[in-house]
Amino acid sequence: MKSSPPRLASWLLTRRLPAEWRDFVVGDLEEEFQNRSAASPVGAWRWYWRQTIRCLARPPRVRSHSSSFLYSPGPKGDSILRTLAADLRYAVRVLFRAPSFALAVIAVLAVGIGANTAIFSIVNAVLLRPLSFDEPDRLVRLFHEPPQAAFPGIHRFSVSPANFYDWKHDARLFDSMAIYRFRQFTLTGGGNAEAVVAGAVGADFFQVARARPAMGRVFVTEEDDPARAHVVVLSDGFWKSHFAGARDVVGRTLRLDSEPYTVIGVMPVRFSVASWAITARDMWVPLAYTEAQRAVRENHNAQVIARLTPGVSVTQAQTEMDVISKRLEQQYPQANAGWGATVVPLQELIVGDIRMTLVMLLAAVGLVLLIACANVGNLLFARALARRKELAIRSALGAGRARVFQQLLIEALVLAIAGGLAGLVLARTSLTAGAALLANQLPRAEEVTVDARVLLFVVAASFITGILAGAVPALRAGRSDLNAALKEGGRSDSAVGIRTRRVLIVCEVALSLVLLMGAAVMLRSLLALRHVDTGFDPRNVLTLRVSLPETKYKTPAEISAFFETALQRIRALPGVQAAGGVDDLPVTGGSVQPIVLEGHTELLPRDQPTVAVRKATPGYLRAMNIPLVGGRDFADGDVAVMLVSRAAAKLLWGDADPIGRRVTLPLESKTAAKQVIGIVGDVKQGELSEEAMPTVYEYTREHTWSSFAFAVRTAVPPLSLAQASAGVVRAIDPEQPIEEMRTMDRVLDETLTSQRFSALLLGLFAVVALALASVGIYSVLSYIVRGRSREIGIRTALGAQTADVVRLVIREGMTPTIIGILIGAVAALASARVMQRLVFGVSPSDPLTLAAVAGTLAIVAVMASLVPAYRASRLDPLQVLRAN
Amino acid sequence: MWFKSKASALGDFEQLVLFGVLRLDEDAYGAAIRQEIHARSGRDVSINAVYTTLDRLEAKGLLRSWVGEPTPQRGGRRRKFYALRPAGVAALGHAYRAFTAMAHGLERRLETK
Repeated sequence: MKSSPPRLASWLLTRRLPAEWRDFVVGDLEEEFQNRSAASPVGAWRWYWRQTIRCLARPPRVRSHSSSFLYSPGPKGDSILRTLAADLRYAVRVLFRAPSFALAVIAVLAVGIGANTAIFSIVNAVLLRPLSFDEPDRLVRLFHEPPQAAFPGIHRFSVSPANFYDWKHDARLFDSMAIYRFRQFTLTGGGNAEAVVAGAVGADFFQVARARPAMGRVFVTEEDDPARAHVVVLSDGFWKSHFAGARDVVGRTLRLDSEPYTVIGVMPVRFSVASWAITARDMWVPLAYTEAQRAVRENHNAQVIARLTPGVSVTQAQTEMDVISKRLEQQYPQANAGWGATVVPLQELIVGDIRMTLVMLLAAVGLVLLIACANVGNLLFARALARRKELAIRSALGAGRARVFQQLLIEALVLAIAGGLAGLVLARTSLTAGAALLANQLPRAEEVTVDARVLLFVVAASFITGILAGAVPALRAGRSDLNAALKEGGRSDSAVGIRTRRVLIVCEVALSLVLLMGAAVMLRSLLALRHVDTGFDPRNVLTLRVSLPETKYKTPAEISAFFETALQRIRALPGVQAAGGVDDLPVTGGSVQPIVLEGHTELLPRDQPTVAVRKATPGYLRAMNIPLVGGRDFADGDVAVMLVSRAAAKLLWGDADPIGRRVTLPLESKTAAKQVIGIVGDVKQGELSEEAMPTVYEYTREHTWSSFAFAVRTAVPPLSLAQASAGVVRAIDPEQPIEEMRTMDRVLDETLTSQRFSALLLGLFAVVALALASVGIYSVLSYIVRGRSREIGIRTALGAQTADVVRLVIREGMTPTIIGILIGAVAALASARVMQRLVFGVSPSDPLTLAAVAGTLAIVAVMASLVPAYRASRLDPLQVLRAN
Repeated sequence: MWFKSKASALGDFEQLVLFGVLRLDEDAYGAAIRQEIHARSGRDVSINAVYTTLDRLEAKGLLRSWVGEPTPQRGGRRRKFYALRPAGVAALGHAYRAFTAMAHGLERRLETK
């Protein structure tokens, strides 16, 4: 029987042997292997491997010269493996001999690679890794696209139930589609009453997400019915915190809004993804719309998730939705005119806003690494020059330039890999330490981990860094003049290669300037946003939300009485100046509705003007310090009254006086008219970076709105009244939970998290860059001073003053710095276009900022030059001249 | 360079390889030479060492080589055969004579030691 030699060994041989020998050597080995395996297969196998290893360690030499320098044989016929191993051993030995040098290089690289690894880990988790759902690329969200005349700039709008059921019925390119919304419950029965946010989901929801319960079951279609909907699926977190992970939880009962719900299942922990809010709820209940609710077409208040049929692209799905929307527009012009539909991949929705920021941060941190490279290149260069004699002796003994290059490059790579490992540790540590911070700033933050792709990134970054930092010094050292180097004897401090090092300073300064400019612009943008005129005064305002369960507070009289009593008692607390309620606080968004003026016929929704609608109570204006411009404020006992913002007054009545006019909000009631009693200042209801939207505030004595955010203006630090305010609510109803207790300043800050995140990280990178650049300037100047000590000594001997010497050295440092600043300024201006979309209220090419940044860099450069300059001025001419 | 190759003496391993080629006559190729050396001298040398030496001897003008036909036994690969050139025969003879001349009369002492 014919056996064949080990495949791996043969493959290695054919890879490594020179072509002209391959056939003969491999053929010979195989032939002898056949002979041997007849006697002893195992022995033959072992013999083949031994021969292979010997061949690999020292392949047959070929007379014709190989082109690769790595192959170029030394006088002893070294193979690449042997010289590599020797160089590695040598590099490690050399570095152990100079531990402070090695540690300095490793530290600089650890910072550079570590910062890059940390940011890449984030990019990897947020942008690169697919979502943790089954076939996540098929999951899409469906939105309405509202008419642009009425909703300028808004492209994704919640969906109306009737439209959803038509979409679901008509669409062919979707596997499945589910509707859901958020629903708040008061959980009672176990100690303090507690507010829980549940997902109210259509029957297909779990099927669309392809999520299976860890225990029990999920909803069946029949349970999407008001009569059978008293069932609940718990999240893993809720199950553990409220049932201590009891195995027999299925079948138990929860009291939600005072009604019993039977637990039918528990979802696994991985189902809850913070960045897709519906999955990160405490629990889920069936949506259970009534027939009437299903038929609502004009109120857009639900969310839709869908799964595309395999092979269907988002564009195809979009085309189908366009067709369906057109038909629905014709069928229901009153409700649907101008309302389109838009298909958005779930992944894009989750990471969409952060993508630009992350890409910008990755670019910025890449610049930091480049600066680190320049610094390390500098250090390596100094070291190569200090070892010129050693290298010259090697050359004299026959080492080619390629061989010297290889050896120096390997030293650089050893350092880079050590730096990369240290950087990995640094990145992991800082990601763990910053996990809490990240969680508030980033979608998918909990998924940020070090995985195989991050490890690969570290390896690649280390190699590229090593080659970038090592190549120039290695090339230059290989080129240095043998004779001169040997003649210099023990002296290794002459100023050789100053030009290369000046270029390195230029690079470092230019890169630092780009980073500093980015950080400065980000910071100014953040400040501009924080100081933008919001139209109200956020200082000294405490906010908290009270949502009354509908099952307990059923009539308008009960609801109104609760809020009136609560607000009155809060106003009576010592330190409180004013208190009022509003359905949605400023800068947090809220309802936007069409509005109809009395005397005008109702237009198609598409053509109606829309305004932000807030339900507020008396006292709200004073609590927020929103100025009353004309007319009067709400008073207790008013019925169906309205305040309009200046922008709303202008939009609806132009220059005419709005006071006394009557309007209806057709989404709430087509008949109940409200009378305008006052005009108030404009307030930013949505994004701080956007214009204040025209807003109306409505109030009536007996209302059905059961969830209010209280705003409490205080004369004392607002949080000191937190306990007392909560006590007021509990005194009225001990079972009533309180949510979202925080200051209004905090609310504002929370809207700026992503800007603060970028500004913070960019600032950090800029500081690191500045530190690296100043260290670079310092070390180059020190080196130059040492190299030119003889010249400086002569100058001093000839009468140069201390100031002259100091000026000489500083000029030496400032020339490349200024060139670097100029190049950096050009680069910063070129990158301004990218930054444009990320900043507010400041131009990314703002000349004042640029000047300030350039000035900072120049000052830092002068500071870095001072110590070498001082050292130069203290040189004793006698000693220097004698030494040389 | 011709004067150099003539002047250089044969190394120990070069002699073994040349003897192998001579002994195998028309059938001298890498594996056969390697086995011949192994069988007779007990030295289990690596195939690459054999080829390195064959190549050097060819460069010195002591050997000539030709490529044979592929055989199935070798996985369809070809053999490279070697034969002595006159200069090779002369050099080997020279080395052999030097060796035996130096060893003459010492056989008993070499055996006993």
